[in-house]
Amino acid sequence: MKLLANVRRLLKHQPMMERLMTTTTSQAHDTTTTTRGSVGKAALTSEQLNELEHNIELRHHRNNVPLIRQLIEKLQEGANNVELLSQLEDELQQLPNATNPRLLSYNNEPRELANYKHRTLPEQGAKEFSELARALNLFRMDHLGNFTGHKSYYLTGQLAMLEQAIIQYALQTLRSQGFKLMSVPDILPREVIEACGMRTEGERTQVYKLDTGSCLSGTSEMALAGYFANQVLEEQQLPLKGAAVSRCYRAETSGLQEEKGIYRVHQFTKVEMFSITTPEQSEATLEQFKDTEIALFKRLGINFRLLDMPPCELGAPAYQKYDIEAWMPGRQMWGEISSCSNCTDYQAKRLNVKYKRASDGRVLHAHTLNGTATAIPRLLIALIESYQSVGSAGNASIAIPEVLVPFMNGQRTITRNKRIPETKLVKFIKSTTS
Amino acid sequence: MLGLRRLAKTCLSSNKRHISALYITGDKANENYVTLQPYLDFAGTFRDRPALEQGIASRGLGIELEKVLAKFAKYQTHHEQLQRLDEEREAISKELKTLSKSGAAAEQLESLRERGKALRNDVKALKQQLYPIEDDFIHDFLHLPNALHPHCPAAKQQKLIYRHGLPTSKPHFISHLEHKDLVHFIDNQRYYLMEQAAHFDVNAMQALASYLVSKGDFVQTSNPDFVRCVLLEANATPMGDYHQVKEEHLQNKLNVAYLTGGGAFESFLGAMTKLCIYPSVLPLRYVACGRSYNREEGLIYGPDSSLYTVTQTNAVQSFVATLTAEEADAQMEQLLNLAINFYKALDVPFQLVYAPADSLTPAESLRASLEVYAPSLKRYVCVGRISNYGDFVSKRILFSSRREKHYDFLHLIGGPVLYTTRLLAALIELGIDLDKCKLLGRPNPQPMTQLEQDLQEFKDLFK
Repeated sequence: MKLLANVRRLLKHQPMMERLMTTTTSQAHDTTTTTRGSVGKAALTSEQLNELEHNIELRHHRNNVPLIRQLIEKLQEGANNVELLSQLEDELQQLPNATNPRLLSYNNEPRELANYKHRTLPEQGAKEFSELARALNLFRMDHLGNFTGHKSYYLTGQLAMLEQAIIQYALQTLRSQGFKLMSVPDILPREVIEACGMRTEGERTQVYKLDTGSCLSGTSEMALAGYFANQVLEEQQLPLKGAAVSRCYRAETSGLQEEKGIYRVHQFTKVEMFSITTPEQSEATLEQFKDTEIALFKRLGINFRLLDMPPCELGAPAYQKYDIEAWMPGRQMWGEISSCSNCTDYQAKRLNVKYKRASDGRVLHAHTLNGTATAIPRLLIALIESYQSVGSAGNASIAIPEVLVPFMNGQRTITRNKRIPETKLVKFIKSTTS
Repeated sequence: MLGLRRLAKTCLSSNKRHISALYITGDKANENYVTLQPYLDFAGTFRDRPALEQGIASRGLGIELEKVLAKFAKYQTHHEQLQRLDEEREAISKELKTLSKSGAAAEQLESLRERGKALRNDVKALKQQLYPIEDDFIHDFLHLPNALHPHCPAAKQQKLIYRHGLPTSKPHFISHLEHKDLVHFIDNQRYYLMEQAAHFDVNAMQALASYLVSKGDFVQTSNPDFVRCVLLEANATPMGDYHQVKEEHLQNKLNVAYLTGGGAFESFLGAMTKLCIYPSVLPLRYVACGRSYNREEGLIYGPDSSLYTVTQTNAVQSFVATLTAEEADAQMEQLLNLAINFYKALDVPFQLVYAPADSLTPAESLRASLEVYAPSLKRYVCVGRISNYGDFVSKRILFSSRREKHYDFLHLIGGPVLYTTRLLAALIELGIDLDKCKLLGRPNPQPMTQLEQDLQEFKDLFK
């Protein structure tokens, strides 16, 4: 009890900590208590500390609650130690969001909510993306490491056109649903990226750093979060629905056979959805995001399934997350092509995104959500593998989904491109000295 | 200001690094993996010395050709000596073979063997002597510029090729930065575009690429965003133009990565390096949509930061390869005509000029700059540029076409035909309605009506 009394004292002087702690307990997501305005007065009880630890275990997150306890004990011994306080704040920053109680019974397994089958796909014999794209002369990924970097790739001809067609198709759909498009920066200060729940230091960081100390964005969600940081929006503006087309940079690598080719790459283009809502709107908005994604992929005619993700798959910021996995017949596996998350007030508190409640004028933390409309490489895999066919002469071709035809200058089929040179490399051409 | 920047840039490029990623001599090859051995055309480079000298002067490069030539002479002498020793060694080894077959006297054989050993040691010693000479000369050689194209104007003189419309002398205009509903500007690295500006950013890029594909018979590509040092050196790109990317576990410390963006010319070079193609695919015409992150190029529109000075932009990048210089000229003209059509359709004051020699990179022999009038700067700003590289870059990256046993290095034309951000800033200031402006190449699929959408959703229910 002595420990908790001290935490209370600490929290009294550290509003930042209070904010961070309340997000990670279920109380923060109880909109009834929020509306009663009890968040500001939340007191930390032993049950809440236990709850934090239980949540961390559920989410397979690094358990730093013992460290938090230790820090508090130390602070108790030498009060007002600035360094310890900052360390405590840092640890509190890393606590994951609370978890939607619906997911507690999932036992670490995603729950399949729906399965959409649009095409009859062969159980075997379908070719894998890289093999098909190479045979059609539309893709290159070999012998590039020394020139354009590890796992870099070129898309050529109709495959490059298909990338732009997918972007246009996604934007047209999002625009018709009231999403407002924004162009966003890809180079961001470290602080913005960390506020989104990504670590920029350490051996396994996924974040690329530049010579200036700035970082490359891993997803446009980071730039958008930076844009809305420290803003107070009017409730009437919410839910605010935005979209962005951006280049995503990820330092992660994978040696897994099932992630070969362009399945996991360092650079790719993505059309992203995001939203800022009131706490009352966020759950319904997540459902809208999910429905938008389903509609996008249905019209593309691929086979996919909708998964409700268990606590251990949520990452740090999400309270709840849906994934969409497409069947990739060449790989004979389900591959994640899209997801959407409700981050509740986790990012909003770290970035200070607020709104003014219309009823009483109180300024409260907003909720944030994000979702993938289309991420190019994996969607290309799903499309190319699903729409492949072999002609009578044994030559492969790919049918273009109907909804993309208007964005492909009316073309309906992807065939081998003979105008693109094959990759024949020389090692050396002797120079003359005279 | 401009002069200072140019001086700094020249100093930066003439400030040689001790080791180049493009040319690594044998003594350093143990620690540094040789990724590419450029083709060094000494004869071609030195054939017309007065022109080379004139080119160096016009470009304002601080290179003393006499000194480079003296180093070349020294390099050649040593190289010839080495060649002679090698030939002698070979002759002795042949002789040894013949004599030992015909059963010659042991004494004679032994003396030849000794001579062979001595020669081997001489070769080794000479090679050690040659490394620093080679290092010194080759790095100077790699800094020599491309020959200037006859159309390239002299220093400080740009040549007007085409002009459309004229800037009005309207005294009042609103800077694009004042349009807070469209632009949220933070600094040269960070800005946000909203609503019509964001749509224009994507649509203009896609439209122009599509226009070049349909009207110019270009093949579209999507390129990587990182380019390693060896290719920037091959393209004579000043290293300060792009951000260096920090990479963990980098095997080759010399060959670091730079963030160019897939819409940069250098990004095409990765796919062309060491590539040998059949003449039947020529001329090769590529166009790519992508980002460009050149942090130096826009600074001439400073000192105040704006969308004209930013690092990041969407770009449409072109790349054309031909067998001959004449074909390259023709392709450049064709590409410029297409670009003119695109900008003419926007109906804004724009001009096409050949840039002066002193603004070219050493790899460019001619640069055509597409410029739109920017009212806030009261000057034309470059929204695209197309350059002729001759076979200068191809030789360095070994991009060739083979005829029997002979390699023809390809002539390159290329550059960004469009930087969306700068064009957008100018259009906003010129009062153009971004939603309505005519973009050649833009597909116009009708958005679904409410009825069609409802019908689609109904159909989806049964899927």
